Amino acid sequence: MAEVKLKNLTKRWGDFVGVDNQSLNIKDQEFLVLLGPSGCGKTTTMRMIAGLEDPTGGEIWIGDRKVNDDLPKDRDVAMVFQNYGLYPHMTIFDNIAYPLKVRGTPKDETRPRVEKAAEQVELTQFLDRKPKALSGGQRQRVALARAIVRTPKVFLMDEPLSNLDAKLRVTMRAELKHLSRALQITTVYVTHDQIEAMTLADRVAVMKHGIIQQLGTPDEIYNDPANLFVAGFIGSPAMNLINGSVRDGMFVTTGGTRLTKLPTADRARAILGVRADDMSVHEAGQGDIDVTIYAFENTGESTLLTVQWGKQRVIARGDRHLRKEQDDVVGISLDPDHLYLFDPDTEQRIRM
Amino acid sequence: MRDNTLKYLLVLPAIVVVFATAIWPLIEAARLSFTVGRLNRPGSLDQYLGWENYAWAFFEEPAFWNSVWVTAIYTILTVALTTILALGLALLLAPGGRLRSGAQTLLILPFAMSPALIGVSFRFMFNPEFGLFDAFFGALIPPLADVSWLADPNLAFAVVVMADVWGWIPFLTLVLIGGLASVPRDTIEAAQVDGASGWRVFRDVTLPQLGPVLAVVIILKSIFSLKTFDQVFMLTNGGPGTATQTLSHYIYFNGMKYGQIGYSASVAWLMVIPMIFLTYAYAKFVFRKV
Repeated sequence: MAEVKLKNLTKRWGDFVGVDNQSLNIKDQEFLVLLGPSGCGKTTTMRMIAGLEDPTGGEIWIGDRKVNDDLPKDRDVAMVFQNYGLYPHMTIFDNIAYPLKVRGTPKDETRPRVEKAAEQVELTQFLDRKPKALSGGQRQRVALARAIVRTPKVFLMDEPLSNLDAKLRVTMRAELKHLSRALQITTVYVTHDQIEAMTLADRVAVMKHGIIQQLGTPDEIYNDPANLFVAGFIGSPAMNLINGSVRDGMFVTTGGTRLTKLPTADRARAILGVRADDMSVHEAGQGDIDVTIYAFENTGESTLLTVQWGKQRVIARGDRHLRKEQDDVVGISLDPDHLYLFDPDTEQRIRM
Repeated sequence: MRDNTLKYLLVLPAIVVVFATAIWPLIEAARLSFTVGRLNRPGSLDQYLGWENYAWAFFEEPAFWNSVWVTAIYTILTVALTTILALGLALLLAPGGRLRSGAQTLLILPFAMSPALIGVSFRFMFNPEFGLFDAFFGALIPPLADVSWLADPNLAFAVVVMADVWGWIPFLTLVLIGGLASVPRDTIEAAQVDGASGWRVFRDVTLPQLGPVLAVVIILKSIFSLKTFDQVFMLTNGGPGTATQTLSHYIYFNGMKYGQIGYSASVAWLMVIPMIFLTYAYAKFVFRKV
């Protein structure tokens, strides 16, 4: 158990900057998720913690030890790889036992520990098989068991669920969460899936272009995004971002529609952010404004209305019993407590 | 129906060529191996002896057993040295570096040389009067200054082995680089994080996954070592004495030089036996079902 500290960590390949002078303190026993689109530097950051990649600059501390010059084997971390990284020529038992074997754990101690790890991921009956004979989800469990068979200082997980089908991913996500709460070991988890980040993390670091855009709890990331990127990246459907301006305390869209009151100073250009869930759908004439439906989607647990708003399209979530047709007119109201304003030039949030 | 005829028609030329250049000579050699078969004795090519030629090789000819012994040692040494050195080189060249593609081009050069040419150039380099290696070794290790490399049975053998290893390393290195590239990076990194040292990663993870490619390399090289002829012919001509006389050279000598076609055909057929085993093993590894 240990905290992980990154100090001014940088990784460059020639002119390309993978991770740009980032500092991050991961608390002891914390589950931290590095979230971002591909190429944002999240995996590189994790690989530098593991020692599989050398930083160009900066320091990495695990516990009270600077590990920059330590080989991966000396860092006392365990890692779960995206493609699992199982040893194809070894049985499941030998795969799970390998971290113990290379550390010279006595044989009579190895067996009970491997069996316990296998039990924790419900793999006991497969120990004699080879990885090839297992399904994707089972292989994923082997990789997990191999990580938890000893008690490392830090768990590193590199998109561990991304190769699983959608249904299995949801199941494994819950199992992973349960397991990590039980083990209480500092965990760094890399993903591009914001739902995984929201559901698993104690804190999320949202990354883009090698820079951490925002670090916070899932609540903070979702309800209090620091900038346009975080606002647009988190949430499904993505937050609606509407171009316009603020005039006389009203947000006016580029098309000239006076949308809603905003308690802020006038500005010539602004972007209003509003989530689909923070809009309510009414009959025509009963909302703040009337709009025409561009597409109506029924997902079963709710309905999604894509509406044409001047030149832009905006998505609102409606009641699950709502039934409308394309080209119908509906009224939409915005929840004044959940509106976000951004500066289109700096892309930063404008606090109101 | 017409398509069916056509497809046989299309492969027919290839079958004819293979039959004329490989199958028929094999059959004819098998027939000859049971005859007196002396080139200087008319009619002897049809004079049948039964198994006498084989018996002669086994029980009456120490030179045959000498060449078997030379071939065996030669094969074991060249296969082991070439494979180990090629594997080392492949490991050094495998991770992408700037020199990599350039080095690989340079590497293939020795393999592009004809074995006979390798034999001739090594003979020159070990020439006691003006040889490059000879001068080199003499300057570096003075006691070796007056050694006549190709005149001493053991040293001559070593030189033949060296020339062969030198010629074969590049090709096997390239094959092994390809094999290394197909070992998933994930598994190697997983082992590193799991706590394995560089050597253990190689032993526990890389090598087992390289196994099939390594087997192909060893079998292939064994086949080529067993039938070595041209280098020996150009470098030492089997000498001094019969110290470097491989089976192929022995067969050539008996058949072409002494005119004992029947006898040399029987020895050639004896050589076919290990070849069949190796070829079978090779085919098994190359066409194995994954």
